[in-house]
Amino acid sequence: MAPSDTTVIFRVCGSLEFSCWLENSNVLQSQKSVSTAFNDLRAKVREESLVFHVCNSPLFIWPNQDCQATAGNVTANTPCGELQKHIEVEDWNGGGKKKRKDKKNVLTVINLTLMAEVTVPGEENCPAPYLSTDKKRHSLSMILPMDCVISTAADESLVIVCERLIGALCCQLSDMKEVVTQHMKGTAIPVPQPLHFMLPEPNGLVSVVHPANIPDSQLESYRKELHKKYNLPEDRPYFRRANAFQFPDQPYKDGYLRNPHEHLNHPNLEGANLYLVQGVYSYHHYMQDRVDDNGWGCAYRSLQTICSWFQQQGYVERAVPTHKEIQQALVDVGDKPAAFVGSRQWIGSIEVQAVLDQLLKVTSKIMFVSQGSELATKGRELANHFETEGTPVMIGGGVLAHTILGVAWSESSGEIRYLILDPHYTGGEDLQTIIEKGWCGWKGPDFWDQQAYYNLCLPQRPKTI
Amino acid sequence: MGRGYVVEAVVEKYFSSLEAGSAAFTTGLLIGQSSPQRDYVVLPTKTPQRGTESSSGALDDVDIEWVTEHAKQVSRMLPGGLSVLGVFMIVLPELSKEAMNTLRKLVFAVDKYLTKGTLWDGTDEDVTERVALQICSKTRKVVCKTFDVKDPKSSAKPADWKYQSGVSSSWPVVTCSVRLDLRLPVLDRSSEEKHKSIKEGLQRWAKRIIASTCLINGKVMAPEAELVAGQKRNPKLGQQKFQAQVLLPPMETQLESSVCVAAQPSPSVVIRGQVSCRAYVHSNKPKAGQAMEAIKRDIVNTVSCRVDMLFDDLYMDQAEDRGAAEGQQCLPLRVFAPVPEAGFCVCDYMFPDESVAEVAEHLQEMLDCSVTEESICSGLEVSHVEPSTPAPAPAPTHGTGIHQEDTPPHLQTEAPKDVPKKQKNFGYFVGVVVAGGVAVLAAVTSLLYLGE
Repeated sequence: MAPSDTTVIFRVCGSLEFSCWLENSNVLQSQKSVSTAFNDLRAKVREESLVFHVCNSPLFIWPNQDCQATAGNVTANTPCGELQKHIEVEDWNGGGKKKRKDKKNVLTVINLTLMAEVTVPGEENCPAPYLSTDKKRHSLSMILPMDCVISTAADESLVIVCERLIGALCCQLSDMKEVVTQHMKGTAIPVPQPLHFMLPEPNGLVSVVHPANIPDSQLESYRKELHKKYNLPEDRPYFRRANAFQFPDQPYKDGYLRNPHEHLNHPNLEGANLYLVQGVYSYHHYMQDRVDDNGWGCAYRSLQTICSWFQQQGYVERAVPTHKEIQQALVDVGDKPAAFVGSRQWIGSIEVQAVLDQLLKVTSKIMFVSQGSELATKGRELANHFETEGTPVMIGGGVLAHTILGVAWSESSGEIRYLILDPHYTGGEDLQTIIEKGWCGWKGPDFWDQQAYYNLCLPQRPKTI
Repeated sequence: MGRGYVVEAVVEKYFSSLEAGSAAFTTGLLIGQSSPQRDYVVLPTKTPQRGTESSSGALDDVDIEWVTEHAKQVSRMLPGGLSVLGVFMIVLPELSKEAMNTLRKLVFAVDKYLTKGTLWDGTDEDVTERVALQICSKTRKVVCKTFDVKDPKSSAKPADWKYQSGVSSSWPVVTCSVRLDLRLPVLDRSSEEKHKSIKEGLQRWAKRIIASTCLINGKVMAPEAELVAGQKRNPKLGQQKFQAQVLLPPMETQLESSVCVAAQPSPSVVIRGQVSCRAYVHSNKPKAGQAMEAIKRDIVNTVSCRVDMLFDDLYMDQAEDRGAAEGQQCLPLRVFAPVPEAGFCVCDYMFPDESVAEVAEHLQEMLDCSVTEESICSGLEVSHVEPSTPAPAPAPTHGTGIHQEDTPPHLQTEAPKDVPKKQKNFGYFVGVVVAGGVAVLAAVTSLLYLGE
C-alpha cells in the first residue's frame, strides 16, 4: 500500500510461551513436536482471552471477541485511525522543541502490546483445578518475541485491522516454525527473531524471521530466496539485520543524528532534478566521541559518515572506525609511517579511498578537478553517482574536507546546487541548530574555493546482498 | 495518636461470652481489614482447644506454636482483603501485668509464620501495625496496643478501640474466576522437594499476577481513584459487586541468548483448571487500587494454599502405601459461606471425598462460626474429569498438543488414583507440621514418585 497521509501502521509486540518435548536421538520426532507446538500457538492466538493493549492509553481491545474494548466509543466499526485519540502522547523528542516541516515525513505508528486475560467470564461451574506430573523428557521452553506490523488506511474499520493483526501473528508463527525446524540441532533450537524491512513499492513494510544465532554472513541463500520472493535486484542488500526498519518512535540509542538532510526544504531550481544519497547515514563531525579534532579531523569525520552509511545499509558489520583506527589502517597498507597513529595530521581523498578499501573492502572512484570553478560542470557525473551508487561523497580541497550528500541539477540549464554535510560543526546533536545554521544545507557553486583544486572520493556499492 | 480500630459490635458480645469461662486466659485472633487510615475488625475467633490439657494458670502455658498454626489455618479461610490483624487475650486480673508481653510474642510469631508462606511481597503501602488486645476477665476493661511487626524492637503503641454496628454490612465485593494453565519444572526426589519447587514456580507466576493490569467492571481505573465514585452510601442498595479482569503483560524476552537449549530431562508439573476468587474492601471511600491489590492477592493465595493443602495431605498419607502418585491429582475446591450478621463470606476447601457438612464443622472449629450447610455456596467450582484439553484452543491433529505421546492422565475416566482420605481435624494438621522432616517420608516418597 502506498504510504499516504491516511496510512497508519499498527505494530503489535509481545511474547508467546513456546514449549515442546525433544528427543535427542529422534530428529523427526523432535521436529514434529516443534511443529505441533507452533500449531498450538497459532490456535492460541485466536482465543478469546487474547487482548491488545494500545500503548500509552487506557484502551484494551479483545480482537477475538468482536473488538470488545474498555472504552465505550470504540467498537468493531470504529475507523482504526481514531484510536489515536485515546493515546497520551509523550514528547520523545524532548525539550518540547517542535520539529518544523517534519509532519510530512512522519509515519503514524500505533503500538499495541499483546496481553493475555487469565480471568474468565461467568462464575459458576469452574472446572476444578488439578495438578499433574509429567514424565521425564527433554523439555524446552522459550519465550517467542512476537513483533508484527500491518499497514492500513486510517479509515479501515477496527475489526478488519484486528483480523489482519491476528493473521499477521499466525503468519509470523508459521515463519518462525520454518526457521526453527530448518536450523534446529539436536535439542538446541535457535530463537526466531522477527525483523521488519521497508522494501521499495509495491512491497512496503514486510516482516521476516531470522534465526538469532546465525550471522548474516551465513544467511546468504536465505536472503537470495527473499530477494526472489519480493522481486528485488540481487546487487544490493535489503534483508541484512542492519537494514531493519527503524520505527519513527524508536530513537537511535547511539545518539548520532540520522539523515539530517531530510529536514531541509530542497531548492526550487527550474528544470532541475534532485539526486540524493540513498538510505541512512549518521552525521559525524568535530568534537564527537570526546575526540578534540577541531582543525584537523574534517576528512576523518567525512570518512566516518561514509562508513556509517555502509554499516547501516548492511554491507559491513564493523562499527564506524575511530581516528586511531583510520590512521592504523593507513599504516597497515604502507601509506603512512607508524608515527602517524596518534598524530593530528590531515588526510585527503586518496587516504579515504585507501581506508575504505582496507577496512570495509569498498572500492572508490577518484574524481579530480583542477579548479573549484570546474565543479559546476560535474553535474552529470555527480547525478549519475547518486542515482546508481547513492553513497555519500567525500570532497577535499583547499584546506577543507566536506561530504556531498546530493545535487540538484538541471540538465538543460546546467544549474547546480550541492547538498553539503559539514564536518566542521563543533556543537551537540541539535538538529534545529544544524539545519538553521546550515551545517547540513544546500550550497551554490560559489561555496567552493574557485582557485583551489579538489579531489572527490566516490565510494562504490559492492554488488552483493 | 495511634491507630484507630473500628470494631464490629458483635465482637464485644463474643468477648463477653468468653469472659464467662473459668480459664486463666483465653487467646484468639482478630480478623478484619487494614487500610492506611484505620483498621476494621469484623470477626474474632478463639484459639481452639488443644486436647484435654488443663492449664496451670500461668502465661507460660500459652502455646505460641498452637496459636500460630491456628492463624495459618484461619488465613486460608479468608478471602482477599481480609487478614489476621492481631491477637486478643482475655486474662484474669492477676496476670494482667505480663499479659501484654505475651501478646507481643504472639503478635510477632503469628506475623512471621504467616509471611513465610505467602508468595507475594508486601508493598510500602501495607500497614505493618498489628493489634494486641488485652481484656480483663473481671472488669471487662480493654487495653489496645499495636506493634510494628517489621521492626523487631518495636514497642507497644496505644491505639483506639471503638465498637460500631454494621461495620461490614455494606462492604463491596470484587470477584473473578481465573483460568490456570501453568507448567512448572520440578525436582522430585522427595515430596518436599517437589512441593518446594512448585512453590518457586508459583512465585514467578505470582509476580506476574501482582504486576498485571486489573480492570474493574470492564474499565481501567487509576489506583487512587475511588472505587465507588460518585455514589452516596445507601445501605438499601445492598452489596456492591465488582467484576475484576486480570490481564497479564507479555514476559520479558531473553535478549541475551540466541539459542534455546532443552534442559536436562526432568519432570514438570502442570496445574490446570479454574479457581474462583473473591475480595472485600471496606466501605469508607475505598480506593480502586486497594480492590485490585486485594483480588490479585486472593488469586495467588487460593492457588498457593490449595497446593499446600495437597502436599500437607501427601505428607500425612505417607504411612499408607500409595503406589505411584503420578498422573492427575485433584486440588481442593473452594466454597464460600456467609458469616452470620456480617456483610462478607469466609471460605474453605473441600477435597473430592468431603462434603459441606465437614466444611461447616471446620468453620465452627477454626472460626467459631456457626454456618448452616444450606448457606454454604459450593457450586462455584465443580469437580469433574475433563474429557479434553481444558484450554479452549482447538488443537489441529491431536487433542493434547505437547502430550502427543502419552495418553494424557486427564483422559482417564475413572477418578484420579490418589483421592486422599482425610480427617480435617486440627490436631491432625498440627501433627503434620510437627512431623515435618521425618525420615519416614524419605522411605515412602521413593514409592510415591516412581517414574513410569
